[in-house]
Order: sequence, then C-alpha cells, then structure tokens
Amino acid sequence: MIRFIITAFSHIDGFLSRPTLALTNDDPALYARGVPRANSRERSPTLGLLLGLLVTLSAVVAYSAYITWQVDGLRRLQTDMVDRNRKDSLQLLRIQNDLSLLAVGMRDMISGDEPYPLTAWSSQFQRIRTDLDDAIRLESGFASGTRTPEQNAFLTREFAQFWDAVDRVFSLARDGKEKEARDQIQLSLQERQATLSSTVSRLLVQNSESQEQAGQRIVQIYDRVQREVYVFLAATLLAILLTSLSLIRWNRRLFARLAEISERRSDLAQKLIATQESTLRYISRELHDEFGQILTAIGSMLRRAGTHAPEGSSLRADLQEVLQTVQTTLESVRSLSQALHPVMLDEAGLETTLDWYIPTVERQTGIAISYEKQGQPFRVEGVAGVHVYRVLQEALNNVARHSGAKEAWVRLRFLPNTLELEVEDHGTGIPERQNKRGIGLVAMRERSELMGGQIIFSSTVKGGTLVHLSVPREKAESYGKEDHSVACG
Amino acid sequence: MAGLASCSQLPPLDALAAHNEGNSPGFRFTDVTAPAGIQFQHNSGAFGGKFLPETLGSGCAFLDYDRDGWQDILLINGADWPGHKRNRTTLRLYHNNGNGTFTDVTTRAGLDVELYGMGVAVGDYNNDGFPDILITCVGQNRLFRNTGKATFVDVTNTSGLGKREGFSTSALWFDYDRDGLLDLFVCNYVKWSPEHDVFCSLDGKHKSYCTPEAYRGETCWLFHNRGNGTFEDVTAVSGIFDSSSKSLGVALLDENRSGWPDLVVANDTQPNKLYRNQENGTFKDAALEAGLAFSSEGKARAGMGIDVGDFDNSGSPGVAITNFDNEMIGLYRLSGKSYEDIAPQSGVGLASKNSLGFGCMFLDMNLDGWLDFAVANGHIDETVRNIRGNVGYAQSPQLFLNNGKGSFRDIASEVGGNFDQPKVGRGLAYADFDRDGDLDLLLTTNNGPAYLYRNDQLSGNRSIRFHLAGTKSNRDAIGATVRLFAGGILQSRMVKGGSSYLSQSELPVTFGVEKRDQIERVTIDWPSGRTEEYKNLATGRAYECTEGKGIVPRNGY
Repeated sequence: MIRFIITAFSHIDGFLSRPTLALTNDDPALYARGVPRANSRERSPTLGLLLGLLVTLSAVVAYSAYITWQVDGLRRLQTDMVDRNRKDSLQLLRIQNDLSLLAVGMRDMISGDEPYPLTAWSSQFQRIRTDLDDAIRLESGFASGTRTPEQNAFLTREFAQFWDAVDRVFSLARDGKEKEARDQIQLSLQERQATLSSTVSRLLVQNSESQEQAGQRIVQIYDRVQREVYVFLAATLLAILLTSLSLIRWNRRLFARLAEISERRSDLAQKLIATQESTLRYISRELHDEFGQILTAIGSMLRRAGTHAPEGSSLRADLQEVLQTVQTTLESVRSLSQALHPVMLDEAGLETTLDWYIPTVERQTGIAISYEKQGQPFRVEGVAGVHVYRVLQEALNNVARHSGAKEAWVRLRFLPNTLELEVEDHGTGIPERQNKRGIGLVAMRERSELMGGQIIFSSTVKGGTLVHLSVPREKAESYGKEDHSVACG
Repeated sequence: MAGLASCSQLPPLDALAAHNEGNSPGFRFTDVTAPAGIQFQHNSGAFGGKFLPETLGSGCAFLDYDRDGWQDILLINGADWPGHKRNRTTLRLYHNNGNGTFTDVTTRAGLDVELYGMGVAVGDYNNDGFPDILITCVGQNRLFRNTGKATFVDVTNTSGLGKREGFSTSALWFDYDRDGLLDLFVCNYVKWSPEHDVFCSLDGKHKSYCTPEAYRGETCWLFHNRGNGTFEDVTAVSGIFDSSSKSLGVALLDENRSGWPDLVVANDTQPNKLYRNQENGTFKDAALEAGLAFSSEGKARAGMGIDVGDFDNSGSPGVAITNFDNEMIGLYRLSGKSYEDIAPQSGVGLASKNSLGFGCMFLDMNLDGWLDFAVANGHIDETVRNIRGNVGYAQSPQLFLNNGKGSFRDIASEVGGNFDQPKVGRGLAYADFDRDGDLDLLLTTNNGPAYLYRNDQLSGNRSIRFHLAGTKSNRDAIGATVRLFAGGILQSRMVKGGSSYLSQSELPVTFGVEKRDQIERVTIDWPSGRTEEYKNLATGRAYECTEGKGIVPRNGY
C-alpha cells in the first residue's frame, strides 16, 4: 500500500511534464527519486524486543538456578544437620535411658531388698551394656564431624572406666565380697554413672543448641529466599514494564507514521486527481476553444473562398474538399475535447452527461449497456460530477478492456440521502493482481473518498464484477462547487 | 493351592456354597455364659483408693482337672483390700458336665480360698497325670496340687514357693532344662504393696491410677523343679533376673527350633524380653537383636498380653504383643534371624491403634488351617473418654481372621453372640469345651462378669486334635511341637501353657483342615528329643498320643 502510494507520488513530476497519463507505471527504480521508504528511516523494534525477551528468560533461568541452589542447601542442611542431629539425639536418649537403667540397677543392688546375690544383676548389666555399645556405635556415626576428638576420647575413656569398675564390682561379688562390692558401687560406680549421665546430658544440650542454630539458619535461608523472590518479582515487573513501554512507544510512532503517510497519500491523491482534471479540462478547453475557433474560422474562410471560385471549377471542388476535412477535424477536435472533459458536465450536469456518454461508449466499444435510472434526480455538480463521471468512465473502461463481457449494466440511483452508481458486468471479474495494484481502481477509490463516499468492488453471483459507488447527497450536490480550486489545482 | 485342591474334591454345589461363604467368617458365636451356669463376677477390690492392681485383673483357664475328657473352667478373682472388706470373693472352678453346663465345684475342690488373684498357670508339675494350679497374686502366689481326687491342696509353703510376696501377673509351666519336670516362670509387674501405694493424680486433687512409671520394676522369677515337690529359685543363676522388668505376659516358644524352650516376655513401658535358652540352664536376653524389644521406632511400648503361633504356616513361630491404646499391636514374623513387625501392613496395626489390648491368642477359629488372632480389649482408666474421645473404657474384643495371605480382618461384629459388645476385657483363653472340634472362647473382664462363647462351624470345616502325654518328657508334654501336613500346607503348634494375659488355654492342640477327611502326616517333637510320625489319620476326631506308645483315636473329639 505504502509502496503503491509512493509509486504514484513518484509519478508527479513525470506526469506534469508529459500530457499522457502514466499512472500504471510501477517501476521500482523510481524509489530512488528522493522519497525514502518509511521503514528504512526507523530502526526495527524486533532487536530490542528480542533483547528484552532474552534478558527476561535469562533472569528466570538464573533465578530458577538460584532457588534450586538454595533448596539444595536447605535439604543438605536438613539432612546433614537436622536429621543427623535428630538421630543422634535419639541415640543419646537411648544411652541416657540405659544409664538410668544402670542407676536403677545399682540402687537395687545397694538396697539389698532382693533375695538374690549381687551377681544376679550381671546379666541385667550385660544386657544394658550390649544395648549401650550398640547405641554408642550408632551415635558416634551420627555425631562424627560435630564432636571434637577430645569429647570422643573423653566419652570412650569414661565408658571404659565405668565398665572396668562394673567388672570389678561383679568380680568382688563372685568372690562373695558383697559388702565390698556394694561399697565400690557407692564409692565409684554411681559417681562414674553420674559423670557419664551428665556428659550425655551435655551432649544432648549441645545437640539441642545446634538444632536451634540449624533452625535459625533455615529461617535465614527462608528469609533470604523470600527477599530474593521479592527482588526477582520486582525485576520481572520492571522488565515487563519497560518492554511494555517500549512496545507502546514503538506502536505510537508506527501509528503516527502511518497516519502521516496516509495523510500524505491522501494529499497526493487529491493533488494528482486535481492536476489530472485541470490538465484535462485545460486541454479540452484549448481544443474546443482555440482549435475549434480556428477550424471554424478556417471553415468560414474556406466557404467564403469557395464563393469566389467559379461554379464547377476544380478549385471550388478542392476548397469544398478542404472544407470537408476541416469540418471532420473540427468534429474530431470537439469529440476529443468532450472525451477529455465533457463540457456538458459543467453545463448540463451529470445526468445529462451520462445520457450522452453511455450511448457513446456503447457505440465505441460495441458493448451493450443497459442504463437504468432510479429515484428523483438531483443536481450533481462540479467536482463531484467529475468524480462520478470518472468512476463510471474507469469502470466501463475496465469492462471493455478486462472483463471480456459483451454486456454491462449501469444503474444510477438518486436516493433521498445518497447518490448510488453501479456498474455490473458478467465477465471474468477483477484479476487479483490488478485488484491489488491497478492504478485505475486506486484512483476510483481515491475519488470516492474525496467525495466522502464509499466504493465497493465485489464479485457478482454470475462471476463478473460489481462496482458500487455511494456518495452522500450533500457531498454530491455541493462538493467542489464553491471550492473549484480543489478540482482545478 | 490348598483351596483349589479341596475344591476339586467337592461336588459343585458344595463348591458354590464355599464360594458364597467367601466373605462370611464360616462360624458363629453363641454367648452361653448363663445357660452354661457360669455366674461369675470379678472383684477388683476397688473402693476408691485407686490401687494399681485393681485395673489389671484377672485371668482364667481351661483345664481338665478331673481328667474326664471335658475341659473345665477356672476363673481367677481379686478380693477386697485389707481394711475395706465388704464381700468374700474367691476364684471359681467350674466343672464341665459334658452337656453344655458347668457346676461350680470351687468349695468341693478346696479352692475356696480368699486371695487377690491375678493370673493362673496350669501344669502337672509332679507328673501324676493331674493338672496342678499356680495362682499368681498380689502378695503371695499359691500353688495348688491336684490330689487326683478332684480336690486341690495348697502346697505353696512346702513347695518352696512361699515367703515370696510380689505383684505377680502371668506365669507358665515349662521344662527349661528338659529334665522331664515342669519348671515355673512367673512374671512380676512392679514393686507395689498397699502400704507403699503412691499418690498419682490427673487433676492434682483426686487420686487416679498410677502408670507403671511410678513404681520400680520387679524381676521375673524362674523356679526350678527339683522333682521332689519342691522348687528352687534360679532367677539369678539362670540369667533371668532383671530388676527393671515390668512384666505382664509370657509365652513359650522354640525361637531357633533347637528343641530347647525359649521365652518371650511382654513388658509394660520397658523393653520386651526374649530369653533365649542357652541349653545349659541359663538364658540370655536377645530381644534387642531379635527386634522384639522395642517398636520399630525404637520405643519401649506398654506390652500387656502375648502369644506365639505359626500364623503364616512357615514353620517358625510368630509373636503377637498387645499394647496400650495409641500403640498398635505388635505382630512379629521371623524374617531371617530377627523379627519384623508386620502389624501395619497386615491390617492388625491400624485396627488396634485405638484399643488397649490385654489377652490375645492365635487360634484357628474357622478351621481353615490358618491361625486367626483374638484380642480382649478394655481400658484401665474409667475416665479415658474424657481425655481421648475416640477411646472408651469398655472396648470391643477383636477377632482377626487370617486370610492366609498375610492379612487379617476384624470380624468381631460378624460372628454373633454379642461378641463385639464393648467390655473391659482382660483374660482370654480357648478350649473345645463342648467337644465339637472347634475352639470356644472364655473372656474375663475387670470388675465384671466372665463370658463363655461357644463356637459353631457353619461351613462344614473340621479339625483334628491331639492330646499329648509325655513319658520321658513332662507328663503334659508342654514344649512338644506338633507339625501337621495336609493339602500341601504345613501347620505347626506347640503344646504350651501361659500366653495371652494372666490366662491359660487348654493343652490339647487343634488343627483346622477345612473339609478334608484325612491328613497326610503328623510329626511330634517331644521335649525329650524324641520325634514320632503318624500318617493318614482321619480328621473329625481327637487322638491320644503317649510318648513312645503310639497314638489312639478317641471316639469323636
């Protein structure tokens, strides 16, 4: 569309310098004549948008990676620290339980209210020892890394010493030295048990503290992630906002440019049509007035000269022949003048002009045209008449040149508010290419728009073309009547 | 396979009937307590003092004390506390008249003794052919020797069991050293006496029942039978001693199939014990390594009742332990060298989570060859519903039917006889008291009546029963393992006392064989080490097997 308009525009100076119309010339080389193409002046927004998309996608990917990393960290923290800690605490509790069972056992041994010798407790102690060993083994596995070697060494040493003392107590008991054994329990064993118990308690407290720390770290991670989520959301919103603003800006510029082009195109079309009309009118008048006058004068002179020539002389015959030629030329000139710009339009109006024009076309082209008028005729004057006439002219021209039809229908309707003109044929229809690029159709559309009217090209049921022009009555009656300059340039 | 094999032998109509019975239990319960003439009311002695033992009693037993071939009933009773005497209550011995009725023969039998009884263990410790009775008590346990003339004499002091006051619960007779004499294992709960009762309270004002945590544990006892009517306390030397134990249930098993009897003990809030027989007169607790000590979360649960049975017909005994409410029953199956708790996936776990189980036992209720599982439930706290809305004081007993594929379904509500009516259940025992070949149930309640449920088969399934008598082994053949091959399935049962909670079931062993009229093979591993095998025995009857002397069919069951 733009290209077409520019093409039309590029013809202006050529058109003005040559009286023949070259409106169908569509030479691409003409673009070079100083009217740049619209899209070469503005940078394309595609690159910017792609860049924006890339940035947004990169942000999403980067953020996903970041979140995954944080979640991984969280999981690691939970597995490595929290779960480990929990399992370790469970084992410590088991150890604590075993230690308290030992304390209960020692209390029962000392109390002496069982009817059994102290050796009876050895299996009980053995069972607890087995369980303790198992618990300590598991516990040391869970606690590795969080406990200092000194702590480990201390624990191992204390347990070893405790069991050593236990063994000595039972050894004394086996030797029948029950009192000594009981003293040993009170002097040493209970104390060692208490030490172990408080050590394990400390470890439990330590676990609880590191549990708390881990909990705090988890909270920190959650806080950080939350903060990052807000930042990310803000950044994403900003990116969306910038992209949207950029798009809006580009769109506005594009629409402004389109509007400008459209205006220029309309301007151009008006100028083009006005120039064409004034040129044709000028040529028509020149032909009619100047050449017509001259030829009429020549005719008068020839007739006068003929009267001086003797009757039946060859001179008189020659003069008569020249007079005949002048007469024919005069008619041709008048006919051409009429064809270029029917003076009838200005003088007798559109309706009368069509009454004359349609039989003329019929005669010239051999196409049978059914002409039909409807409604109460009103005057269509000035430029509006010229435009309607030109539209009809172009439409019939198309019928004659392209449709291959031998028949056409022209309908002129004077509706209360609208003037309608229809040209219908049952030919081959408007070729696609011409529909898109033909200057004639464009000119018809421009003319209708200049009148504030509407033109519709459509296919008829029988396969031909129907050109339907409708012009508001007020425009038809008044357009260009006062402002003659529009039509005359 | 077994099902297919049996179906292929059946006429089509029977097969159809069997198919239609797919969802019905195949048997029916009838509450025959009243018609049988059993009018028993347990006395917990509760007077408001909220003494700990009041919540726990009491047990029951099936025994054929007069050897007339009909299982009699013994119901243990509590008593009023000293200083709060209202009524004189004693345990009750009901003689089975053989016609569905029982006669209270307590006084005549010399058992009209007032004591605060908890549990009972029946065993012929002197190998005279007549079952003797140990009553576990709060205070002094009592041993009653059967005179053989339908009377009992209290031999507590002369037997060497006297002067041992405690808070004894379950007990069992078994021959741990395989000398042919039954020894005695007694569970003790905690060190408690009315004089040393502790004040526990939920609201800080009113006294409530204490949990076992409030008291020191007490060791179980093992008494060695010297063979001269006296017993020797071998608790310490045998390695049984553990002053931290708070034991409520004990069951006999041969965990490693060594022929030497082992014991598994349910402890309340303490780790359970698996006393593995070291075959030298001592035991070693292997519960931890066997996976029986704690729950799978490593927690010592509140073990109450216990039983052992080959419920998956694998040949190895499985273990069941009832626990407190909010704790599942532990249903353990031997997996490799240790036990695996399959309660959650077997359907027993979740179904038992809101009940407090006491007595429990494996028995083949519908005689399909797969051991089912019965549980007596009931809370210890009358006000429990105020604290836990979905748990009541009286609770429905449960009957888990074994589908033979590792899963159980509670059918208590489907068997009739108002069996599923909520009760404060404690003791639970089984016997074929009406000699129709299936196992009937006896259930005791705390401070309430006892219930006798007669089992009647509806599907036509039959059984084969064995009454074992040892010669070289102990006379009761306790510890003997009977394995039965029928229809491609190997079932095994051990002759055992103890099990359940404070109770003892009959000693004869019963095998369900569906509708088979013959079994392929049965082997008996006697405690003495002797093995006997019998083939092609007809079902639908009981057999008398005497060690080394062959097998004699009874006329009917």
